[in-house]
Amino acid sequence: MKPRWRKVFLDLKENKARTLLVVLSIAVGVFSIGVIAGAYVIISHDMGASYAANHPANIELRMADSNDDVLTSVRNIPGIGNAEGRRVFSIRVHPMNNSTWTVIDLIAFNDFANNVVDLLTPIAGNTDPSKRQVVLEKEALTQLNAHVGDQLVFELPDGTTKTIPVVGAVQDPTTGAGDFLAPPFGYISMTTLENFQEPDLYNRIYATVSQNQDDDVYISKIAGEVKDKLVRAGIPVDRTLTSKTHEHPLASTVNAILGILMALGVLIVFLSSSLIANTLSALLNQHLRYIGVMKLLGGRNRQILIMYLALIVSFGVLALLIAVPLGGQGAYALAAFIANELRFNLLGYRIVPIALAIQIAIGILVPLVAGLVPVMNGSKVTVLKAISGDLARGEGKLLHRGPKRESGWERFQTRLTVALSKRGVHIPRPLLISLRNTFRRRGRLILTLFTLTMGGAIFISVFNVRVTLHDYIGAIGDYFKADVELDFTQPYRTHEIQLLAMQIPGVQSVEGWQAQSADLLYPNGSTIDILNIAAPPANSALVQPILVSGRWIEASDERKLTVSESILPYYPNLKPGDFLPLKINGRKEEWQVVGIFQFVGQQGLLAYAPLEYVEQVNDLVNQSTSFHIETDQHDRPYQDKMANTLDQYFRTNGFNVLQSQAGLASLDTASQSLDTLVTFLLIMALLTATVGSMGLAGTMGMNVLERTREIGIMRAIGAVDSIIMQTVIAEGMVIGLISFGLAIILSLPFTYLLSYIVSLAVFETPIKTVFTITGYLIWLALILVMSVIASILPARNAARLTIREVLAYE
Amino acid sequence: MTTHPPASEAESIKVVSSYSDDMIRLHSVVKTYKNAAGEFKVLKGLDLTIRRGEFVAIVGKSGSGKSTLLNMITGIDHPTGGRVVVNSTDIYSITESQRSLWRGKNLGIVFQFFQLLPMLTLLENVMLPMDYVNLYDFDERPAHAMELLEMVGLKEQANKLPLAVSTGQQQMTAIARALATDAPLIVADEPTGNLDSKTANHMIDVFDELVRRGKTIVMVTHDPSLTSRTSRTIIIADGELINETIVKALPLLRHRHMLEMTRDAKRITIQPGEVILDCNQPVDNLYMIASGSVNVMQASGKHGKRLAHLKAGELFGEIELLRGGKAIACVRAGTHPVDLLTFPREDFLRIIEESPITAEVLEKIVQDRLEEHRVKSKA
Repeated sequence: MKPRWRKVFLDLKENKARTLLVVLSIAVGVFSIGVIAGAYVIISHDMGASYAANHPANIELRMADSNDDVLTSVRNIPGIGNAEGRRVFSIRVHPMNNSTWTVIDLIAFNDFANNVVDLLTPIAGNTDPSKRQVVLEKEALTQLNAHVGDQLVFELPDGTTKTIPVVGAVQDPTTGAGDFLAPPFGYISMTTLENFQEPDLYNRIYATVSQNQDDDVYISKIAGEVKDKLVRAGIPVDRTLTSKTHEHPLASTVNAILGILMALGVLIVFLSSSLIANTLSALLNQHLRYIGVMKLLGGRNRQILIMYLALIVSFGVLALLIAVPLGGQGAYALAAFIANELRFNLLGYRIVPIALAIQIAIGILVPLVAGLVPVMNGSKVTVLKAISGDLARGEGKLLHRGPKRESGWERFQTRLTVALSKRGVHIPRPLLISLRNTFRRRGRLILTLFTLTMGGAIFISVFNVRVTLHDYIGAIGDYFKADVELDFTQPYRTHEIQLLAMQIPGVQSVEGWQAQSADLLYPNGSTIDILNIAAPPANSALVQPILVSGRWIEASDERKLTVSESILPYYPNLKPGDFLPLKINGRKEEWQVVGIFQFVGQQGLLAYAPLEYVEQVNDLVNQSTSFHIETDQHDRPYQDKMANTLDQYFRTNGFNVLQSQAGLASLDTASQSLDTLVTFLLIMALLTATVGSMGLAGTMGMNVLERTREIGIMRAIGAVDSIIMQTVIAEGMVIGLISFGLAIILSLPFTYLLSYIVSLAVFETPIKTVFTITGYLIWLALILVMSVIASILPARNAARLTIREVLAYE
Repeated sequence: MTTHPPASEAESIKVVSSYSDDMIRLHSVVKTYKNAAGEFKVLKGLDLTIRRGEFVAIVGKSGSGKSTLLNMITGIDHPTGGRVVVNSTDIYSITESQRSLWRGKNLGIVFQFFQLLPMLTLLENVMLPMDYVNLYDFDERPAHAMELLEMVGLKEQANKLPLAVSTGQQQMTAIARALATDAPLIVADEPTGNLDSKTANHMIDVFDELVRRGKTIVMVTHDPSLTSRTSRTIIIADGELINETIVKALPLLRHRHMLEMTRDAKRITIQPGEVILDCNQPVDNLYMIASGSVNVMQASGKHGKRLAHLKAGELFGEIELLRGGKAIACVRAGTHPVDLLTFPREDFLRIIEESPITAEVLEKIVQDRLEEHRVKSKA
């Protein structure tokens, strides 16, 4: 090996701590981008592929009870590929060992073995249940805390219970895939329906189209035809859902989130490159003397440049060796986490070529670009300058050229201290050293601050976004202010239910609500989607709408409604006073819009009309199946307790209760789904923060290395270990606190931007941004802890230094 | 953030005796470095005592071990063997951190390259040791530091950063900093190495003044003009201390020759009035007076005429060794016992042959003494 290449090798080998620092600086960026790019590719491919592999229905029809003849007629409709009929009903269940009721949707299959649409993926046990057996979706197993082999107690419509064993577990990647709020699922055979007091009839049809399976328009057209045929046959259809075969219903949401992640990934690469530039610049500074010696011995600029570029490439290769395998594993782990949350399967661990290519490019190119300027400057340094050591102004070296003028910044610092001192504010010198040291290497400081500030701003923003989302969910809760929703399988007189319910201590008020399903039509008469019209009393205290325009419903309104803004994509210019074409009970009607309110897009199309009018349309005056009850306390445990009490009470009194659940139940489920998203963002924020704290550790390490001489002086004049450590740690904390101040400012635009992107992705509407002190406080604590941790190792090294280095003789 | 050192560190420093006239005592101090080539003994069992109030120059060639010796005295490096007691503290019986605090209180160090902290003003640099050892009330420290800067003539520059003042001013600030905690011992490493002669002289004047005030100063220097102003010169060569009698007797010898003489010279003690050299006797040794005094007499009898009175640091026997022949006078111990170093004739002649400058000086001494002998004999 030529001596100069041997030097490159020894540079890597000899100073292991420095090599490790540089390699880790590069590796953290490469790792992050590897994780994000890999997860991006795996998720965007596998989400669709896994979804398609389970033969998702392109059309889901929710309709009145029907039999095999109806199913056959649907199968015979031109354009329909396969169709399966199922019966889906909600039921309360609990494991034998736990008496807490959970509502699940039971899906009855005709033939598990020959299932062709919305396939189930077997996980454990027998997934072809016989009569009086049930199979659970894995999410249901988790929620019920049940296992295969356990006995489940189901509550039947007549109030009796039936115990049935869980014989297997499956994953269902397709049913309810587009619904964040979908309940857990269980599966039984049609022959078991009688055990649940359910008729042996279908109320859902899941169908695929025979061609153009990814063509929205085509699928909608076929769905319309199917629906029309059913309606003509006298089978009302409540709702029609359509989806493409190769696109997961949540793909756009996930892609938006992945987009954010990719942006964060790019940011991390930037942060990591500033870290690399910092480290390499310090390394080159340390090497200037050797460069001087090499030049003295005849080394040319180009040779030296190539030597150091080779050193940088070596750092990059070492970083790749660490970061590529870890990044691959991380990408798969992240993808698996998301897949698990969204109930789809990955196609197995694999190397993602594009992610690998990006990693290699970043691992080699970013250090080269980041190191090029310091290396070029280093290679051009004159021999005299290099070997004289007179490279850094004011770094404790002898000043050969006599006194110099203090810089403006230096004058400002000293004058400020003098001015403070005259006013009786004396800053202890050790603290003064920490404060002034902070600003000595301003280029390095700026890069470190940039990294830490970005990490902090993202971290804080994620917390703000979390609160923004929860605030919005809370606002949605204003539409569901009931503490308990009590549903019956048949209508009861409102007055009777009110009288009975008010007997129970804690019940404050009871409202009977009704609902009306309508088809929302385009002006040309074709169906857009089902419009669910909720009908509370006009003066209901249990709805507090956020009106975007117009007014709320009034008791005297007839054929008037307030609609959710989720209708706007279909009627962009809709305003109060306009008329909407609807089809209600098979009749086309024009209803006037009196107001538009804000609502969650995921919930489908929703409108409110006054109970006073709808009960006449439904011919159910002063009756209802759904009662909204307000209690004297509003927390979830109390709501659960009251729901249970009401349930027991009405069942005992002979009422046919369908379900009784806490008002916050569905909101909590929604919040949990959003928390998954926020956790995901938080992981990225922590990754950014990790890069930031590594940057700080690197900076502190370099600062201490450069100030070995000064630390020796401090020891020589009486500084004990603890004071040396305090001086270094205080400097780290000053940097941390400055970055915190900057992060506070930067978190404002970041929060707005992130909230905007996430709310568009999740709710399909921009929402009001809310700020929380939590993120700021946590980040402050974290940055202080990180600053201390980042400085503690350099500080310990500093405290261990002896003064021998200071006395430069012999 | 507090600057107060932990009480436990301050309290646990071991003081070997309450007070001693000796500021520095080195007992058989050995320092061995190990490297790939093997072990290298830098200090070979040094014994040294420096008393309070002395102004001592330590001289040695590059690589002689003087820096290691200074490191031993300042507690900067650990001896491989032996013991170092400075200002009554066994400084290697305490931890590194305790030693830092001890150093702050007992030792002021002046470095060759000044070593001021560049981010602090001159005043702040001087105050820093006070912060570290928690000396004076916090609010009084600026006034004390300003007094010291005034003493070295830098009051006007107090709020400037080191880079904004001259090298001489930086070194004066370093001296002020060394005095900040009123330490009894000042150790200076080549303090004039980067100063012009005028500033160097000013600095030595300041050192003289400090010695007059009772400080002990130990200074490493290469500059012979500075050694002439110290009260004592210690030469170190090849990790050993040169016998100070030899240094005084033959100051211009090369260090290796001094070292050879240190190793080979024999020490003898002569009782008061006893004859050391008798007239007309052959002379086989060079004699150097370590302590006490001798009388050079014309004749060996009790009533012989005294030709000269030689004191510690002077030598005799050189005329006979250089010129040949028997003793031209007789030498007898003075009124107190006298310690002598004797060095064999052949080795002395060889060394003188290799040391033309010393030979020249000795020739001059021989001529002067012969002339004095001739004049006094006639009288």
